[in-house]
Amino acid sequence: MLLPTYYSRIIYRNLKKTRFKIGVGISTIIVVLAIIAPLIAPYPDEGYGYIPADAGERKLVPPSIEHIFGTDALGRDLFSRVIIGTRTAVIQAVSVIFISLIIGMLIGVCAAYFKGIIEITLNYFIELFMAIPSIVIALFLRLTIGQGLHVVIASLVITWWAWYARISYVYAKSVVELEYVVLAKLSGLSALKIIPRHVIRNIFQALTVQAISDLGSALLEASAINFMGLGLPSGFPEWGVILYEAITERGIEAFLRSPWLVVFPGILILVTTLGFSLVADPLREDLDPRLRRRWKLWF
Amino acid sequence: MPVSLNYIFKRIILSILVILGVIVFSYLLLMLSPGDPAVKWAGNPRGPGATKAIELAREELGLNKPLYMQIVNFIYNFLTGNLGLSIAYKIPVSQVIVSGFAATLELMLFTYFFSVPLGIWLGIYSAINRGSRIDSFIQSISIILASTPTFWLGSLLLLASNSLTGFFPYGRVSSKLALSTGFTPITGFYLLDSLIQGNIQVFIDVLVRLIPPALTISVYPIGVLARVTRTLVAEALLEDYVRAAVAWGIKRKTIIRQFVLRSIVPPVIQISGLSFVYSLVDAMVVETVVFGREGLGSILIDSLHKADFRVTLALAVYLTAFYIIVNTLVDIVQATIDPRIRL
Amino acid sequence: MVLAIRAENLKIGYLDEEEEQVVWATRGVDLNVEEGESFCLVGESGCGKSTLASAIAGILPPHALTMGKLYIFDQLVIDDSKRNYNGIRGKIVGLIPQNPGTSLNPFLTIEDHFYYVLKDSKNMNKSESRKIAHEYLLKVGLNKDVLEKYPHELSGGMQQRVLIAIALASNVKIVVADEPTSSIDANLRAQILNLVNSLVKEFKVTLFIVTHDLASAGKICDKIAVMYAGRIVEMGPTSIITNKPRHPYTKMLFESIPILGWKRALNPLPGEPPNVIEEITWCSFRERCPLKIEICNKEPPLMLTDENLHFTRCWRFKEVS
Repeated sequence: MLLPTYYSRIIYRNLKKTRFKIGVGISTIIVVLAIIAPLIAPYPDEGYGYIPADAGERKLVPPSIEHIFGTDALGRDLFSRVIIGTRTAVIQAVSVIFISLIIGMLIGVCAAYFKGIIEITLNYFIELFMAIPSIVIALFLRLTIGQGLHVVIASLVITWWAWYARISYVYAKSVVELEYVVLAKLSGLSALKIIPRHVIRNIFQALTVQAISDLGSALLEASAINFMGLGLPSGFPEWGVILYEAITERGIEAFLRSPWLVVFPGILILVTTLGFSLVADPLREDLDPRLRRRWKLWF
Repeated sequence: MPVSLNYIFKRIILSILVILGVIVFSYLLLMLSPGDPAVKWAGNPRGPGATKAIELAREELGLNKPLYMQIVNFIYNFLTGNLGLSIAYKIPVSQVIVSGFAATLELMLFTYFFSVPLGIWLGIYSAINRGSRIDSFIQSISIILASTPTFWLGSLLLLASNSLTGFFPYGRVSSKLALSTGFTPITGFYLLDSLIQGNIQVFIDVLVRLIPPALTISVYPIGVLARVTRTLVAEALLEDYVRAAVAWGIKRKTIIRQFVLRSIVPPVIQISGLSFVYSLVDAMVVETVVFGREGLGSILIDSLHKADFRVTLALAVYLTAFYIIVNTLVDIVQATIDPRIRL
Repeated sequence: MVLAIRAENLKIGYLDEEEEQVVWATRGVDLNVEEGESFCLVGESGCGKSTLASAIAGILPPHALTMGKLYIFDQLVIDDSKRNYNGIRGKIVGLIPQNPGTSLNPFLTIEDHFYYVLKDSKNMNKSESRKIAHEYLLKVGLNKDVLEKYPHELSGGMQQRVLIAIALASNVKIVVADEPTSSIDANLRAQILNLVNSLVKEFKVTLFIVTHDLASAGKICDKIAVMYAGRIVEMGPTSIITNKPRHPYTKMLFESIPILGWKRALNPLPGEPPNVIEEITWCSFRERCPLKIEICNKEPPLMLTDENLHFTRCWRFKEVS
């Protein structure tokens, strides 16, 4: 069967589930928003962090017709910041997951395919990097390199690749022992051909589903790092940063006086994460053919 | 006990190797990242004492020795707890971590005390009532809970608590109350300490202040466990031995307890262990910035402001060690429960 | 004679994953099994024989659809879409499952298996059930030590023996054995079958055995039914079926069995069974049948039962024998 038809069948099968439809809907909206954000934002410059000239008069304005999400402590339109933040959110989540997936898959598959010392060493490093919390890496990078998008992405990738490597290793281990792979090895086919053709192709679907479901967690962790002030600099259009300015920088009491600064970016993080999870959840169920059926307590 | 000592021994060796690995990794980060390591180690000092402080740091790290000697020296210092004084706190680094750790761990244990059983129960209930309205309700709620940014939820809880009850649960204990009743921390677990001292007033105060952050952190374990447990029950229901048990006339209740739930215990323990470590980071983010509690979170924030590399490195190593210890324990417990594993 | 199992035009199908189509596993089975009889159902993979066994044992999955009627000792258990196995599972019908390796709960000892079965079917306590368990384990040729063991500590043959003991321990009247020998070594197969047969005779239990192993079925059963594409094509006393089959499919099945010490060409069956989704009214075997004639394409097959209760579903039964 051709691969595209195979995947479109999976999507077609799942489109009957309400959860999946909602998830696809939310994710599509978020991605579209990320692309056209500067066109929708009423004050795109403020969205990118520029402080308006009349900042003094319009700071901390509650939601109104002119500023539907209100304004922040420096007079910037919150709606514009939040909308442009969609872009950062998508970039952060997708690049963390994509880079981690590629690195992790290669290392995990190699660990499973090449036995002996390579397997032991790679597994040791997988174990090692899985154990380091990303927030501490972020703190370290913040203290040495400084702030920026690359710092957030790097600090997450440093621990997340190991997670994918572990999953790939476990899946690939069972594939490598399949008879046709053993036969391909015995017939002298090189590892460079066997790994992509047999091993990676076999584990790819499961890994993709895992990656989609992790997009949400990556976003949550990235915004948590930014919320602590460890990643992106203040003023950057990112939801965690907006919350950082509202809470971490000004203290919790300030937040009580201007709750709109907190409510809206938080809802967007929640909805985006939820959207990714709603896409991934039915797909994950779909991976196990036994669970595709409407099982229930039948006795 | 089915687990052999050999298995436990292997796990412990691996754990030690990983911890050593983290120490080396952090040291290399310190050395190879931009900037003079001695300046970083001294906490970017300024003013008249700066040169002297940097010279001292250079000596402490042994920067004039070859790299492998430095690493050995560093590991030795770490293991003997001799990392010098924290830049931010002016007390030994290990002491800083330990005091913060007790506070965070208290919060975590309190959270997991109720959230793990609740999450598992929701998952089982949902699976048993598969397809019903209550099932889709539990599933929707748990997927939303697992998607909620905790630091945001925490702020909303604080706002709600403040506007509904007028109580502002900020900090671990009311300092006024602690002073007036003569409360002194002993173990660092305030709930325990107040009980030891028979100080009911403080106990209630500490408990009430624990609840909002605990609720905040609990959304992740509840959401994850409810979903994972449901899938695990579904898989267990499809096992051949459940079919056979039905055909033998074993009652539904017995099948669920003895055949289905028994088989999900090891994976549930594993998931709980993994989410415990994940929640630890959650707790660090929430406790200080949102709820104003001291703990690992406040240590993190302080070492950020003071550029305290000593504490940063110690945090990396201790948190990793914690992760490793929890996971090793989980593996051992899991192997003990599952009669098939005889490693 | 009392009928232990009676099926009337029983159809069982499964909803497919998309819940759009029904895959029919049995397409109208009529069948009578008398009390105390050993009844054997043979057929190739996918012909619906395991589904029929599950229906009798009461373990059809929730996505199965049923039509027709199934009686077990005059209790109606399947009445079109209604299924009611109250008082049947474990009390009247016991099961010897197909895969001994996965049919025992890995988290329970063998003793606990007996305990939970006997507690719920006979209200026994732990010590009573232990006594019974011990007794039945001796009967299947295992000793007492097995009680404390976990399933994974036993060999495949031992697991199968334990399953036989469990199925019989609650004094059921019918034992359903779903391919009891398919996953054990060839040298143990005859042993296990003989064991099942002798126990069944000893306890005067009705045996309903499903297998694709015609040779051994012939040795232990009183009656054989041959199933093809969801229908019974031939049924009758063992001696008649093995010696004078009247359906071309049965004949071909016998010709494809290798017999030790007898050199002859094996005739594998050509072709594939029909599509499971299509509705079939004509003879389902005609595509593969070497004796096919004009009428096979025009009319549904002739159903005939002779004075020996030998049932055939074929126009050409005379030509076969």
